[in-house]
Amino acid sequence: MSSQGKAGKTGLIFFPAFDWAISPTHPEREERLLYTRDQIFEEGLMDLPAIEEYKPRLAEKKDVARAHFCVPDVESQVTEAHLIAAGSTLTLADALEKGEIRNGFALVRPPGHHSMRVVHGNRGFCNINNMAIMVEYLRTKYGHKRIAVIDTDVHHGDGTQDIFWHDPDVLCLSFHQDGHTLYPGSGFVNEMGGPQALARTLNVPLPPGTTDEGIHYVLDNLILPVLDDFKPDLILNSAGQDNHYTDPLANMRFSANGYARLNEKLAPDLCVLEGGYAVETALPYVNTGIIQAMAGLDYSHVKEPDYVPGRFVQTAEMKREIEHTVAQVQKIWEQRDELVGEALEGAGDFYRRKRRVFYDTDMINENQEEVVRLCPDCAGYMTMSTSAQRGYGILNSAFCVSIPRKACSSCRDDAKEEYAEHVDDKRIGYVLMQDKDKDRFKFYNNMTRTERGY
Amino acid sequence: MLIGIDVGGTTTDAVVVDGNKVVKTAYVPTDHDNLLKCMLMAIDELVQGIDTGKIERVVLSTTLITNMIAEGKTDPVALVLIPGPGTNPKDYSLGESIILDGAIDFRGKEIDRLKESQIKEAASQIRAQGLSRVAVVGKFCQRNHAHELLVGEILAAALPGSKIELGHKVSGQLNFPRRAATTMLTAATKDRYEHFAKDVARALKERKISAPVYILKADGGTLPLDKSVQMPVETIFSGPAASIMGVLALTEPGQSCVVVDIGGTTTDLALILSGKPLLSAKGARVGSLLTHVRAFAVKSVPIGGDSAVAVSSQGCCGCLAVGPHRDGPPLCLGGKGPTPTDALRVLGLSQIGDAAKGEKAMQIVAEGLGCSAKEAAQKVVDAVVDKIVFEVNEMFREWEQEPAYRIWEIMKKELLSARSVVGVGGGAPLLVPLVAARLGIAAMVPEYAPVANAIGAAVARPTLTLNLHIDTEKGEFSVAEEGITGKVSDRKMTPEEAERLARRLLAERAVRLGIGEYAGEAEVTYSEVFNMIRGWSTVGRLLDVRMEILAGLLPSWGRC
Repeated sequence: MSSQGKAGKTGLIFFPAFDWAISPTHPEREERLLYTRDQIFEEGLMDLPAIEEYKPRLAEKKDVARAHFCVPDVESQVTEAHLIAAGSTLTLADALEKGEIRNGFALVRPPGHHSMRVVHGNRGFCNINNMAIMVEYLRTKYGHKRIAVIDTDVHHGDGTQDIFWHDPDVLCLSFHQDGHTLYPGSGFVNEMGGPQALARTLNVPLPPGTTDEGIHYVLDNLILPVLDDFKPDLILNSAGQDNHYTDPLANMRFSANGYARLNEKLAPDLCVLEGGYAVETALPYVNTGIIQAMAGLDYSHVKEPDYVPGRFVQTAEMKREIEHTVAQVQKIWEQRDELVGEALEGAGDFYRRKRRVFYDTDMINENQEEVVRLCPDCAGYMTMSTSAQRGYGILNSAFCVSIPRKACSSCRDDAKEEYAEHVDDKRIGYVLMQDKDKDRFKFYNNMTRTERGY
Repeated sequence: MLIGIDVGGTTTDAVVVDGNKVVKTAYVPTDHDNLLKCMLMAIDELVQGIDTGKIERVVLSTTLITNMIAEGKTDPVALVLIPGPGTNPKDYSLGESIILDGAIDFRGKEIDRLKESQIKEAASQIRAQGLSRVAVVGKFCQRNHAHELLVGEILAAALPGSKIELGHKVSGQLNFPRRAATTMLTAATKDRYEHFAKDVARALKERKISAPVYILKADGGTLPLDKSVQMPVETIFSGPAASIMGVLALTEPGQSCVVVDIGGTTTDLALILSGKPLLSAKGARVGSLLTHVRAFAVKSVPIGGDSAVAVSSQGCCGCLAVGPHRDGPPLCLGGKGPTPTDALRVLGLSQIGDAAKGEKAMQIVAEGLGCSAKEAAQKVVDAVVDKIVFEVNEMFREWEQEPAYRIWEIMKKELLSARSVVGVGGGAPLLVPLVAARLGIAAMVPEYAPVANAIGAAVARPTLTLNLHIDTEKGEFSVAEEGITGKVSDRKMTPEEAERLARRLLAERAVRLGIGEYAGEAEVTYSEVFNMIRGWSTVGRLLDVRMEILAGLLPSWGRC
């Protein structure tokens, strides 16, 4: 599982999308990776024998549909920049599987970890979830069973959590600044996943001001032991860089050296850039450090101009709080099998969840109801009713059906029936089918009565 | 009349061109120990019966610097680095260096100060090592020259008579280790190059050739000899550049083709896309060092007419290997072992050399392979063609795989395909049609293919690059190549205004380098602008413009 010891290079894709922004003054703008470009090019990192630079490619619509229900369809929700960012992760995934590289870093924007299973628009600067698209691709194309996604962005990786909520084979572990104090306001310890996958979603909320010491405490005492137990085929890092002490949108005190050391210890097979908005004071140094750590190079010379070791000291109270949270999550992890057993006992044939989702960037309010069949023979098919209103604008509604990999015949038949029942139902705009088992995806428009597929 | 001379690996080729006509050609075997002598021999042969007063220009393409570096005959240099935060300098393969404190960041802001005592200590260290040439290179010093200038000043004062090269004067591009390598090589070759340049100038004067003398660079451009002493490293790999310029001169304008230059031991491959030779995305590799030297993307394949052919005894039926080394001339030309040239002789594709000896060569191969001599010859030729075709396809693939950083670059990078294979060099007429047939495109071997390199040198125009960086928040611009800085007052400067400034600065630079009349040919090859947003407002802009006079032909050539 760990990539260390394997021969080979570190694959790097640098796609700064220098011609894409949410809006001219938005933090997610053209300038974001400019100084990072300057730094890693000036360092000559791409020339080092330990590093191999790859060219990005466009993800296919099918790759997106494997992870998302885009309403009304994939084309309406993505731009070329999104497809290139997502495609970059797939290029590195292929290079890793072919044995060309021993690990890889997709240094790309736009980011993705706030994009959930259903996509009506942009949430938290994200339209589609690059990481989730890569995970689904790796599982479909290369048959990986167990994958661990460690989200090291300062914000809770709520999109990735949502996509793998019911999946016991994808461990989603996110540490982040406490949701009481930061977007998206979620990621508490009690968010643990669906009944069949309890404790395969783990959340570690940390107090504002957490330092290198605190984050490494979480890594050493929770993340690494959990990974030892879970034994994933691959470890992936949703590598946000906004835990940095200079980030303008968050309040943590992580350093470039802390980030490099984290990646050295975690030894992820693939890293995907998420957020990080201290464009001058953090990103050039953090990215350089991560690349060096992944490539096995000396990162001790990476230092922010104003950083001195020991600059940030954690209070005793903060330390206690972190230790307490880690102990709580450890306990959840230890009890994972009992938790699933208890939840499934007397749960009936179906699990239901109703939610409201707010898309902050696009000001969209979504209502959804998710139903999963608790099937004894397979992962169970899922349906999702969703309706979303953009401001006072149009209401988009859809009924979505998902057939899991290795679906049993009963789930497959029922799922197809659900799809057929909703086709031409005038109360719903669109009907979507995600057949992960056959890797086929359908989009039906009830207004024009046309079907399209990938 | 124009004179072009290419001092190649085995022969020195020379031509006289008048308008669009090749008037005279000459060949002299290259003497590696005395490049000047063989060059002068070629000139002497060339100008017999020609009025030297009518010579308008002499262009030299020489392997001087390439050989000097390959043979380790460069001067020792002390490398002084100001690396700042980032990579451990030991991870760069730059050899021994002196590391100084102090740092500049990507905006050109000083983030750590120099320590004067440390610089003085460095000076005594250099003195103790007995070195008189120093290269001083700082990370991001192309954005702020202050550190390199101050270190240079202190070292110059402490080391009288020493020669000091500063990184920002050598290249303005991002990539500190490449800048360090290029600066070091500049310091290591400058004196000997200057010596050579003076010898050339004197020798031509003695021959009553008063025409201006130019040198050909790796990017296919010419530069006045006396100015080129500032940048001797730019003259490496001018041989392949000469051939490519020759193909440009001998084919229709605007076409896309693969250039195949088949020599004795190596075959050089290059691409011309829509009439423009493809430049390497990054600078040239010189020995073990990666540099910032702009060069055509040339792929050298170790196979040629003289490559040794061997049959290894692995397995039952033997395995054929062509190259990569040379065991002397082909057997049909009096050598010892079989070569592709012998194979071509046996197949009746060439009339070079002795038929019986060629036959004998292929007999040797045939025994190993267990077939007839003719079949063996066919297999040898197939192996050569296979190898070249494979490498041509690889070259296209590599070019398509070059990283892109913007959406439009990824969306617009169409697959350009070559329409023809153009062959130059000795082995070209026989092998190029076979390569082209395999690639399914037309073959072309121009009339003057054997001296295409010398023609290329004769008719190439000057090239020039200028990298302008503007930071309107700081109100400054800098031209890295010359260490020029200046003020800008408009915070909202547009890319068009930046390009106008670049054009003016390039024109001034062209005049200083004696190629002012070509400034009008300059084009913008790269332009980017970023708004700097702090909080919710725009505080300034970062603009980068690269303006270049790209490789091209003199208007007088106008052949087609």
